[in-house]
Amino acid sequence: MIYDLRTVAHVYSGRAGAVRALEDVTLRVSRGERVALLGPSGAGKSTLLRLLNATLRPARGALFFEGRDLSALGPGELRAVRRRIGTIFQHPSLVPSLTAQQNALCGRLGSWNLLRSLRALVVPGSEDVRAGLAALETVGLSGKAAARADELSGGQQQRVAIARVLVQDPEVVLADEPFASLDPGLTAQLADLLFEVTQRRTLVAAMHDVDLALQRFQRIVGVRAGRVVFDVPAAEVSPELLQQLYAREARRAG
Amino acid sequence: MKRAAVAGAVCAALALCIAGAGVHPAFDARALGAFVRGVFPPDLSPPFLRVVGLAIARTLGIAVAGTALSVLGGLPLGILATPSLFRRGPLLAGERPGLLTALVALASLAARALLRFLRAVPDLVWALLFVVGFGLGPLPGALALGVSAAGILGRVYADLFEGVPPGPVVALHAGGASRMQVFAAAIWPQAAPAVAAYTLYSFECCVRAAAVLGFVGAGGIGGEINLSMRLFEYGQVLTLLLAFVALVLLTDAVSRRLRGRFQRNAVHGSGLLRGPVEGRVARRAPALLWIALAALAFQQAGFLGIAAPGLLGHFGRFARQLFPPDLSAGFLASLLEPLWQTVSISVVGTAIGIALGGALALPATATLLLDRRDAPGVLGRAARLLAYSGSRLLLAMLRSIPELVWVLLCILAVGLGPFAGALALGLHTAGVLGKLYAETLEEVPDGPVEELRAAGATLPQRLLWAMWPQAREMLLGYTLLRWETNLRVSTVVGMVGGGGLGLALYNNVQLGFYPRAATLVLLIYLLVSVTDWLSDRLRKPVTSAEAPPASAMELISAASGSPAAP
Repeated sequence: MIYDLRTVAHVYSGRAGAVRALEDVTLRVSRGERVALLGPSGAGKSTLLRLLNATLRPARGALFFEGRDLSALGPGELRAVRRRIGTIFQHPSLVPSLTAQQNALCGRLGSWNLLRSLRALVVPGSEDVRAGLAALETVGLSGKAAARADELSGGQQQRVAIARVLVQDPEVVLADEPFASLDPGLTAQLADLLFEVTQRRTLVAAMHDVDLALQRFQRIVGVRAGRVVFDVPAAEVSPELLQQLYAREARRAG
Repeated sequence: MKRAAVAGAVCAALALCIAGAGVHPAFDARALGAFVRGVFPPDLSPPFLRVVGLAIARTLGIAVAGTALSVLGGLPLGILATPSLFRRGPLLAGERPGLLTALVALASLAARALLRFLRAVPDLVWALLFVVGFGLGPLPGALALGVSAAGILGRVYADLFEGVPPGPVVALHAGGASRMQVFAAAIWPQAAPAVAAYTLYSFECCVRAAAVLGFVGAGGIGGEINLSMRLFEYGQVLTLLLAFVALVLLTDAVSRRLRGRFQRNAVHGSGLLRGPVEGRVARRAPALLWIALAALAFQQAGFLGIAAPGLLGHFGRFARQLFPPDLSAGFLASLLEPLWQTVSISVVGTAIGIALGGALALPATATLLLDRRDAPGVLGRAARLLAYSGSRLLLAMLRSIPELVWVLLCILAVGLGPFAGALALGLHTAGVLGKLYAETLEEVPDGPVEELRAAGATLPQRLLWAMWPQAREMLLGYTLLRWETNLRVSTVVGMVGGGGLGLALYNNVQLGFYPRAATLVLLIYLLVSVTDWLSDRLRKPVTSAEAPPASAMELISAASGSPAAP
C-alpha cells in the first residue's frame, strides 16, 4: 500500500471566502498501480495531486504514505517523502535561464546537501553530467542538453520535465494533465514515453483525454465537485458513468 | 574556461581597486564608541530645535527654488533638444534643406550636449563652485540644484516629447500647423501629465540632494550636520538626522500621492490642464497661497541677496578665472592618482554594498522567510519574522542616511582618506541594493520554485536552483546601475574627507587654483560620461526592452544619487 487517504478534505481560504476543493475523499493506491483521475475542470483533481505529492496539507482527515501519517512528519522527513514522488505538471515550469541538462539535474536536489547543490550549479560532477545526459537521451533530447529552457518548444519542455523525473528516480510519479497543452500528434508520442519511463513505478495521473485514460490505465477514479464519485477498473467504465461525471459541463456547453 | 577567465579578471580588478581605495584593517573603536555613546540622548532642547526647524525650512526652500529653476532652464532646453521638433522625423521631412535648417539642428544638438554636461557634473561640484562665486549660504545650493536638475529634467522632457503618440502630431502638421503650434496643441497636452509626474519625482530627489549640499557650505540641514559633527555634538547629529529622515519620508509620501494622480491622468489620456487634479488642488488652495509659498521658498533659499551690490560682478570675475583650464602635463599627471582612487572607491563601495546588501537581502525576502508552508513551529516562525523585520529595518536605516553623512561617520572609525569614502558608499549602497535584491527575489515567477519544492528541494536549494537563475540578470542590471550612481558619488566623497577627485577639487578651490578646478570638473564630466556609456553597453543585452518611463525614472534617480526609483 503506497497511499491511504481517509476522509480527506481540503478548503482554500481566499479573499472571496472559503472554497471547498475536496470533501471526504477516501482512496487507496497500491504499489505499481496505474490510476487515472477523471473529472471536469475544477473538480479537485489538481488539489488531490498536490496532497499526494506532499506540498499541501489536508485540512481534515489523514493521508498515509507507506503507512506513515504525513501530517505528523517534520520538514526533513517531508522532504524525504517528496524526494520519492516525482511530479509532472500540465505547464512544466522549468527554470527558464538554466539549460535543459541543469533542469533535468534539478531532480537530484532532493538527495543533495546544500554544498553539493551549490557545486553542481557551477561545476556539475561527471557522474551528474552522465545522469542528466542519459535522461535527456531517453526522452529524445540529447541534442538540446546545452539549450536554455526558454529556448525550447512546449513539447520539448515537457520532455525535459519527464527527464527531470527520470533523474529523480522516484517510486511514485504524479502527472497533472501532462498532455493537455500539447497538440494531438505530440500527445501520443509523449504518452508512450511517459508509460515507458514509469513502467515499474506507481503512476497517478489527472487526465483530460478520456479515451487515452481508458486505453492506458488499469483503474479510473472519477472526481466531481471535490468528491470521488466512482473508483472502478477501466474495463467497467460505462458511458453512463462518464455522462454523470461530466454532466454539468455538457449542460453548460449545450 | 571562459567563465574562469572572467572570474579571474574580476578578482584581479577588485584586488587592484582594494589597493587603490587604501583599504586597511586599522579601526578606531574608541572614536566610534564615543560617537555611539554621544548620540544618546538626541538634543531636544528648545533653542536647538529652533535651529533644526530653521534648517529644515532652508532645505525645503532650497529644494523648491532649485526645482523651479530647473524647470525654467530644463523646459526650453528640453524642447530645443527634442529631435522630432528640430532634427529629424515627419515634421521635417517636407522642409527644404538649407543653412537655417542646419543651424537649428546644430542648436538642438548643442542643447542636448549642454544638458548632458549639466547632469554629468554632480550637484555637489556645482554647489562648491557657486559657493566660491556667491559666498556661503543657501543661494549657491539652490542654484546648484537648479543647474544639475535642469540637466536631468531637460533630457527627460525631451524624451517625453519625443515619445508622444505621433498620430495627432502628423495630422496637425499636415493641416498646416507650424512646429510650435504642433508642440502646443499635440505634443504638450499628450506629454503634460508625465511631465508633471517626473517633475514631482525630481523634486523628491532635490529634497534629498538639498540636505547634503550644506556639506560644502551651501546652507540647509547638511551644513548643520557637518557643524555638529565637527563640534563633537553627536546628540545634535542624531536630532538632525531624524529630522532629515522625517522630511524625506514626508516629501516622498506627499509627492507619491500627487504623482499617482498625474499618472492616472496620463493613463486616461486627459490633459493636465483639464484633469481632476488641477481642479481639486485649485479648490483647496487659492493661487495666491501657492505664489506666497513659492516666494517664501525663494526667500528661504537666499534669493533676496542676489541683488546685493557687486555679487553678480564677483561671480563673473570668478567664472572668468576658471578659464582656460590648466592642461599642463605635470598637473594632468598628478591627477592620475586621485582618478584611480575615485574609480577604486566606487568599485570597492559597490562591492561592499553587494556583499552586505546581498547578505541582508536574504532574510529580507518575504517569499523565503515568511512562507507558511515551511512551518517550522511557533518559535521558529517568530524567529523568522524577527529576522525579516530586523533586516528590513536595517536596510531602511542604511539607505536613508545619505552617503556623505556616512562618510563623516566612517572617518571616525577608519580615519580620513579613500577607505572612509568606500566604506560610506558601501553602507549606503547595501541599503539600496539589499532592498532591490529582496524585491527582485520576491517577484521571481513561482512555478519553477514550486516544482523543485515538489521534488524535495530544501529552501536554500530552491534559492540556488530556481530563484537565483531567474533573478540573476535583473540583479546584475540593478547592480551595474548602482555602480554608475556610485561613481558619480565617489567623485564628491572627497569633499568631506573621503579621498579621490573630490578632495583634489576641494583643495584646489580652497587654494584659489581655479584653472585647475576647471580641469578637475572636466575630468569628472569625462569620467561620468565614460562610465554611463560603459554601464549602458554592459546592461543593454540584459535589460533590452525597457519602457521609456522606467528609464526616465532611472535617469533621474541615477543622476541625482537618490536611493531608488519607487
